[in-house]
Amino acid sequence: MTEFFTTASITLENLSKHFGAVQAVDNVNLKVQAVTLVCLLGPSGCGKTTTLRMVAGFEEPTEGRVFIGEDDITEVPPYARPTALVFQSYALFPHMTIYENVAYGLRARRMAKAEIDQRVNEAIQLMELQGQEKKSPPQLSGGQQQRVALARALVIRPKVLLFDEPLSNLDALLRVRMRGEIRGIQRRLGITSLYVTHDQEEAFSIADQVALMNKGRLVQLGTPRDLYRAPADRFVAEFVGLSNIVPVELLETNGKNASVRLFGKTIRSRRAPRNPDGQVSVVLRPEALEIDQPDPEGVPAHVLTMAFTGPLVRYTIRTNDGTLLTVDLHNPGPDQFFAEGTPVSLKLPAEVPALLG
Amino acid sequence: MTESVLTLPRGLTSRQRRRLWFIALLLIELLVLAYIGTRLVGVEVVVDRTEVTGNVETIYYRNEITGDPPLLILLVLGVALPLASRRLRREAVLLLAVQAAVGSLVVFVLWPLAQVFIEGFRAGQVERHFSLIQFEKLLATPMVARASLNTLRIGAITAVAATAIGTLIAYTLTLTDVPGKRLLRILTILPLVSPPFAVSFAIIMLFGRRGLITYDLLHITQGSIYGPHGIVIVQLISDTPLVILILSAVFASISRDLEEAAEDLGGRPFYILRTVTFPLVTPAILTAALLTFISSISDFGNPMLIGGGYQMLATQAFIQLIELFDLQLGAALAMLLVIPALIAFLLQHWISNRRSYITVTSGARTGHIRKLPGLIIWPLFALALTLASLTVLLYGSIFVGAFVKTWGFDFSFTTRNLYGLLSAIPQLKNSLIVSIGSGLVGGVIGIILAWLVARQNFPGRRSLDFSATVMYAIPGTVIGIGYIIAFNAAPYFWTGTFFIIIVAYAFRRLPVGLRTGVAAQKQIDPTLEEASLDLGAGRLRTFARITFPLLNRAFFAGVIYIFIRGMTDLSTAVFLNSARTQLFTVRMFNVMIRGTPSEGAAFAGLLIVIIVIALGLLSKLTGKSFVDLFRVS
Repeated sequence: MTEFFTTASITLENLSKHFGAVQAVDNVNLKVQAVTLVCLLGPSGCGKTTTLRMVAGFEEPTEGRVFIGEDDITEVPPYARPTALVFQSYALFPHMTIYENVAYGLRARRMAKAEIDQRVNEAIQLMELQGQEKKSPPQLSGGQQQRVALARALVIRPKVLLFDEPLSNLDALLRVRMRGEIRGIQRRLGITSLYVTHDQEEAFSIADQVALMNKGRLVQLGTPRDLYRAPADRFVAEFVGLSNIVPVELLETNGKNASVRLFGKTIRSRRAPRNPDGQVSVVLRPEALEIDQPDPEGVPAHVLTMAFTGPLVRYTIRTNDGTLLTVDLHNPGPDQFFAEGTPVSLKLPAEVPALLG
Repeated sequence: MTESVLTLPRGLTSRQRRRLWFIALLLIELLVLAYIGTRLVGVEVVVDRTEVTGNVETIYYRNEITGDPPLLILLVLGVALPLASRRLRREAVLLLAVQAAVGSLVVFVLWPLAQVFIEGFRAGQVERHFSLIQFEKLLATPMVARASLNTLRIGAITAVAATAIGTLIAYTLTLTDVPGKRLLRILTILPLVSPPFAVSFAIIMLFGRRGLITYDLLHITQGSIYGPHGIVIVQLISDTPLVILILSAVFASISRDLEEAAEDLGGRPFYILRTVTFPLVTPAILTAALLTFISSISDFGNPMLIGGGYQMLATQAFIQLIELFDLQLGAALAMLLVIPALIAFLLQHWISNRRSYITVTSGARTGHIRKLPGLIIWPLFALALTLASLTVLLYGSIFVGAFVKTWGFDFSFTTRNLYGLLSAIPQLKNSLIVSIGSGLVGGVIGIILAWLVARQNFPGRRSLDFSATVMYAIPGTVIGIGYIIAFNAAPYFWTGTFFIIIVAYAFRRLPVGLRTGVAAQKQIDPTLEEASLDLGAGRLRTFARITFPLLNRAFFAGVIYIFIRGMTDLSTAVFLNSARTQLFTVRMFNVMIRGTPSEGAAFAGLLIVIIVIALGLLSKLTGKSFVDLFRVS
């Protein structure tokens, strides 16, 4: 099946969508390189699904253009676009068998019966759905329905695959398995994909690049590592993982890197704050912090709560100036358990990737 | 302290106590059944033969069983069968509810229907043995043979045309962006507020021999509205609204995702309509076709008013049964009516059971407006507009007609016709008693049945559901005939009472109460009831305190729906009402046939006003809009 695919990049140019007075998508520019998978991540109502639907052709952009490869498809109706969408609800046709569902796109193209048969069977084999052809969608489990939806999208050999929160109807375990499979197939077929989700972990584990959206705007585009380590702003820092965001005093900056003072200690940053004149904050990931027995070198603090989750123990501590911080100790040894109320000493990292401000 | 809570009085364990209760319950049931038995079945000593030997005359007597032994047997079976289920034996309330449901369905649904078939195969009033003579009589009467064919033909034409028109209008008013949708939606379903024959009457007022449009405006004297084409036109106007309601609800519930998926996969608009949209609504289309078919073949008023002597089965049955008192021939005619209806019902039931797609999934986006080319939209809009204007015209002429001296001759204003209504106050009172009574009875039974069917699990649940549902396939005419045959003579003495009409209406509309109740129950999270049971409330308390309060909207919707149907019914009423219990529709029908058009218009107008008030009440009660109210049906 692989050799038949031709794929192409997706380019969104100044894409905007207004619903009356509501600005659902606000001037989004995004390029999804060919063969890669980009996740549109963001809280509900951030415009990610609307953006996806503009690529599929179900929403008409108020402004801006959509390209697949070099082709401007902004005015092309959905049925003529080289895209295939996997719906959140799967949208399997309940009055058709699995086979008929998968064959639908080919029949709509009035393909020869023999070729339809061959391609449907290929897709069914690819998705390991053999033996289910004659069943009707409600007879299948959620995971199997998901596979049918994917088979039905792949069989028309789209240039671009689109996913609209495809895993949100599955239970946690199956979700993890299916996202692995989707990623595997996407890699194997090398098909450009745009994937919408509100689940940060899902996005990070599946995407080459994550496009984080908020209030209709694209806030940051980067690899999962970029987003996590060097969030562009407070929203990104808070949305992506748990973080302690603490105001700091800017000591010096040269436009490229900077140093700040926190709890009387100096921390270097590999990136300068965007606005050195305003309030500058530092993002301290819980796992970047450490606590230990009281020690004059460290920052004095008290343990407020302790929660043991297995791989890690999570503390909430309060420093002497009243700042609350979350600290994760991974794979804790016997001397790393501190009862609530115990005085401890906090060790700050010497260097952080970026500053907010 | 906990000890005193757990220890039961008189040293009985809870198991023993339940046993005792169960035995007491059985004893009470036995007594009730025995009492019913003595009323249902009697033994009479009759003279068998007299022998004279010499001057000694020997008279031989024999015992003859009178009344309805088969019904008693059915009833006992119905009450005894639930006892076979261990689950039901454990829970007295559930057991009683199932027994009551089965018992009442046996007596008021199965028995009258069975009677139609039993009586139809009898030789006659006196000779009660099995015979096909009724059917030989029917075949020998060309009038009846013609009436059968006529009924099927008109039924098929009406069903196909009403379903087609209704489906198109429903699609237009639900999923496209035509102007004035809200108003059109109300106007196109307006005929539901009046009895079907009011449409005939209004059509005659407008297009009859002295019709306002045909005679006064266009001066047409050739041709006539009377005849089969008139029946079809009128039935189209009065049955299309039902199709519109059913299909609108279904069109509105189609998930947008499905059509978008089809489009995304390369389907063009027409291809999607053909391969996705219409196949999805096929079961609803079949239901609508079935209902319009049944409504058409059981129609009594319209053929009488506008048929111009065109013979239909319902009118023939009326003549045989009520005017000629031939019970057996009437029953045979009713069989001819019920058989096609049952075949249609089973067919529809079978198909929808195999393919039922509209599942309401939470969060599914529905009711999306489709963008269609103007070439398609505007003809559809014109169709909806035509039906809407026709209803406005018809109802307008009824209300105007009520205030003129003699429609067709003298159009000067008068309130005289309203005084004519005063003479109909007894009939209006009768109708209100019967309709309110049947609404309450049907509402209560419907909600209990719905609770059993939707929430409880016991053997025979599906058959219970089926036998309650089958009623909607039975033409009203047949129900009237069945009730008159089943409950005509001793031991019932129900003919001519309000009771028989109330029960007939309540059970005839049971499927609506049941479906409404089931739908409402499905909206309620079952854990609410479980929580109540878990906290120690019994089944009865849980139903009364949790289930019913959450269902009361559905309950009142059912009550008012049955009320409206009762107020507008004619085809059951003509068989069941008597001089003492004459109903408003029957009086109205007589006035329409014998009185002036203006007198008839006053009657129709009053009935419409009452129904609109009932709807307004319901709208207040449930907070739903006028159109949504009809959705319960």
